[in-house]
Amino acid sequence: MSKNDDFYVGYIDHVAPKTKGFLKRFVAITLFLIVAVAVIFSLTQSTFKNSTFELTSTTQITGIYHENPYPMLRVPINHNSYKNIVLLGFGKSSVNPYLQKVMNEVVTLDKKEITVEGNLIYYNGKTLLQITSQEKVSLTHSLKNISSNIPISKLGQKTLDGEIIDPKCYFGVMKPGKGKIHRSCAVRCISGGIPPVFATKDQYNNSQYYLITDQNGMPINKDILPYIGKPSIIKGYVEEQEDWSIIKINTNDINIVSSTSDIYQ
Amino acid sequence: MGLDYQLVLWNKHKKTYDKVILIGMLLYIILFASITLVFNSETSIETLVIRAFGTLAILMLHIILIIGPMARLNTRFLPLLYNRRHLGVSMFIAALIHGGFSIFQFHALGDVNPIYSLFTSNMDYDSLTNFPFQVLGFFALLILFAMASTSHDFYLANLSAKIWKRLHMLVYIAYTLIIFHVFLGAFQQETSLFTIVAMCLGFLIITGLHIITGIKEVTIDKQQGTYGDPNWLKVCDIDEIEEDRAKIFTVNNERVAIFKYEDKLSAIHNVCKHQGGPLGEGKIIDGCITCPWHGYQYLPSNGQSPPPFTEKVAIYELKIIGSDVYIKPKALAEGTEVIPINISK
Repeated sequence: MSKNDDFYVGYIDHVAPKTKGFLKRFVAITLFLIVAVAVIFSLTQSTFKNSTFELTSTTQITGIYHENPYPMLRVPINHNSYKNIVLLGFGKSSVNPYLQKVMNEVVTLDKKEITVEGNLIYYNGKTLLQITSQEKVSLTHSLKNISSNIPISKLGQKTLDGEIIDPKCYFGVMKPGKGKIHRSCAVRCISGGIPPVFATKDQYNNSQYYLITDQNGMPINKDILPYIGKPSIIKGYVEEQEDWSIIKINTNDINIVSSTSDIYQ
Repeated sequence: MGLDYQLVLWNKHKKTYDKVILIGMLLYIILFASITLVFNSETSIETLVIRAFGTLAILMLHIILIIGPMARLNTRFLPLLYNRRHLGVSMFIAALIHGGFSIFQFHALGDVNPIYSLFTSNMDYDSLTNFPFQVLGFFALLILFAMASTSHDFYLANLSAKIWKRLHMLVYIAYTLIIFHVFLGAFQQETSLFTIVAMCLGFLIITGLHIITGIKEVTIDKQQGTYGDPNWLKVCDIDEIEEDRAKIFTVNNERVAIFKYEDKLSAIHNVCKHQGGPLGEGKIIDGCITCPWHGYQYLPSNGQSPPPFTEKVAIYELKIIGSDVYIKPKALAEGTEVIPINISK
């Protein structure tokens, strides 16, 4: 056949049969390619962890407010057993602006009972709560016979390997909430006042989490930004406060490593 | 061809083309989402959207970049080139959803402007493995936006085909940025041999096809003819040109198409004024040279588009001695009337 018989013009309805057949075959092959690529890219994703962020529902919780050094709510679970819920603000921000209203009502909010309503975030035994409005925080007086003193166990110096994460994303808001893909978000969160946490694994391969403070036990945010989301080794003084551990560090002691941390496995 | 500018000059083929694009995109998104929800159900909706549209945009970009060289190598691919700009705009929409969700997810609701955060949240610009890969994707998205927003004949006419073409050649910069965006980003964390091989294969196919096409173009440029007379260049035998078709030669570093039709010969500049399509690979339809890319038409006797259209290309003088075709290398002004050479006389 001469090539003259097979010339395609887009605005002319007629298409030569051979061209039409060719196009049908091309579309079929392309659709097959689409299926193959969708299968490859979807099936090769790493497994997401079963962390939860209750974005569309809120929970009301009453407990004793404390800052050791980050805002938390100590909630009685059973007799003499407590859970410390990390309080967070909306988006990538600290909870502090949302506590301002109740802080104005008392000399100090520390060790006072408050009731808060917000979105729960939880994973691996840790619970956090996002508060989105000052109106969702109020002073209450319903809890009886609760000790406001938190027992502290001093565990001494430790060296840990893992990654500095922002707990809001890691424990539920984002998946994955760690590693390079998430690094810039974690930087933004911690820069905004969300407490930094060190995620690591113990000798039995169980996940361990440490709230990070400076050497004086004070909040640390801006100074730690260059180290977030990278496999690293840190050393510091460790304390255990009920269900949370705290590691007091000097940021100069953080050692970024090139090897992959166990937390990725 | 159209005289006035409408958002889309719809015709049967464009509608079919767009339906296939839509079906393909929906098929990919539904499959990606379904497989993820079934086999990796703990995903979050935001991550699902970011990944589904990001990978879809990459797949579409590969198809877009393959169509060009394939149409140069095999004319049966030309129908895919005809409405490729709709594929490009669709790909940009997929990339925009990926980029928009990512910027909101990773950078919004923080203590600084999201765009400022994009550039400053990771300052490891001097590291390869820690490089802020999102910046690369952002610049690629800007290029794709510039291309998508000018994917209309209004901009083609007002920017001029040359500038428009240069702007749209930036797609190769965007593709390079996207390759690095993926390898320095997702592949640093979501390491899978299958996806890395798929990306490498895509890169090799695109690169290979462009190299093969380049070699073919060089071959065309070598068809330069020989001087028998200082003013006339002998280019071919009449029989070498097929009826209603042309043969392309390089004359004074310009490609010229010599058409044979109705026992006559005419020569015009090979480059279509619309998008730079190769007129010499077109055909005489209704007495007009018709561009193979988008069907723009020119009268062979003067290189002008038939009224009321106004495009014009340069025209050349020809002569025949025996069965040999000669061309005068100096082009005449665009739209100059030249009486076609009669073959039988």
